[in-house]
Amino acid sequence: MYYAVTIALLVTMALALLRALLGPSVYDRVLAVNMIGTKTVLLLSVLSFLFGRPDFLDLALAYALINFIGVLAVLEFFRVRAEQDKSDANTESR
Amino acid sequence: MTIVFGVFLLTLMLVTAIAIVRTQNLFVAVMLSGIFSLLLASNFFLLDAADVALTEAAVGAGISTVLYLSALALSAQHEHAPYSSHRLIALAVVSFTTLAVIYATFDQPRVGDPAAPVHQHVAPWYLEMTRDAIDIPNVVTAVLGSFRGYDTLGEVFVVFTAGIGVLFLLDKPGARHSQTQTVGQVRLRHYLIPRLVGRMLIPFILLFGLYVQFHGEYGPGGGFQAGALVAASIILYALLEGETRALRALPRRLLTLLIASGALLYCGVGVAGILLGGNFLDYSVLADDPVKGQQLGIILIEAGVGITVTGVLLSIFHAFAARGRF
Repeated sequence: MYYAVTIALLVTMALALLRALLGPSVYDRVLAVNMIGTKTVLLLSVLSFLFGRPDFLDLALAYALINFIGVLAVLEFFRVRAEQDKSDANTESR
Repeated sequence: MTIVFGVFLLTLMLVTAIAIVRTQNLFVAVMLSGIFSLLLASNFFLLDAADVALTEAAVGAGISTVLYLSALALSAQHEHAPYSSHRLIALAVVSFTTLAVIYATFDQPRVGDPAAPVHQHVAPWYLEMTRDAIDIPNVVTAVLGSFRGYDTLGEVFVVFTAGIGVLFLLDKPGARHSQTQTVGQVRLRHYLIPRLVGRMLIPFILLFGLYVQFHGEYGPGGGFQAGALVAASIILYALLEGETRALRALPRRLLTLLIASGALLYCGVGVAGILLGGNFLDYSVLADDPVKGQQLGIILIEAGVGITVTGVLLSIFHAFAARGRF
């Protein structure tokens, strides 16, 4: 049972990786990273039960807590980028 | 079956690594390196190396993406086409090294082979002595903190030195203040949902960091991981509420103090061992009962490691932010 779930998760990760590689837009890649992050949390949880060591769930918890900081940083990055472009355009038009 | 999973994950990692090298768009490279880190952590987990996987989780998932992006905000988004004149030489060197490494793997023992040299050398002694001398369930922490305390001290000093080096490169003492005031205040404060959800999560990440710090003797974890987790929670605060507020809570002067005091605490524990009649970093003399002394020593040095790592990561983040753009 756990094996089936693990295989399904690995296939999903491979598909998400494919999307991250192909793109084409930046948002596809951001979503793909986010997706792989979520799948990693699930994979770690399933594997810890598969190995019979549920105390290793700590790791999945750590991922679940931290994963989205990266996405927030991406959001902030684009906000800053957009502001820069705006100010650049302003100075050029003058 | 585990081997199949491992090979599958390694293949995905290989594909990701090649894509990172190939792409000219640096933002894509950052995203892909995030994926690489996640796959790497899954692989560590498959190999039963929970402590390393937790480190990769704490550093790779959150902090390195943030730091890469702050570096990227200071530079161009596209890589220039590389020089082509030395390509053949580079290709030859890489092919030769690859062949040499592949040739070397033929002599490697099977994964988990009990007769492998690594299991014959000091590992059995560590496993035996951990129960008698230190009496904690997590052998990794015992090896890291006590048996190989010198090496970990070296690691802490590497982190310490690297932190100082990065601060030297990034800090611009004069121009700092005006920029932080204007840019640092906006951040993501206008985005309601991330802000609310993020604020709810910060105390839990901090709590989890403390749990990882002090539970390191019983489960996966320790100072390095905890330091990264605590730093991540404060970086999250800085992203959501703005640089200025984060700096008001933890000023840079305090962060510099943290960097130094963590390393100093580690050394202090070592020197205390000498003063109490033992060797440097010999914790047995710290308490009346040698086993209790070992445990006390490990807790203290792990605290030192955690303090230094938190200080270094946060200082680097703030140094990037002070450059004005991120």
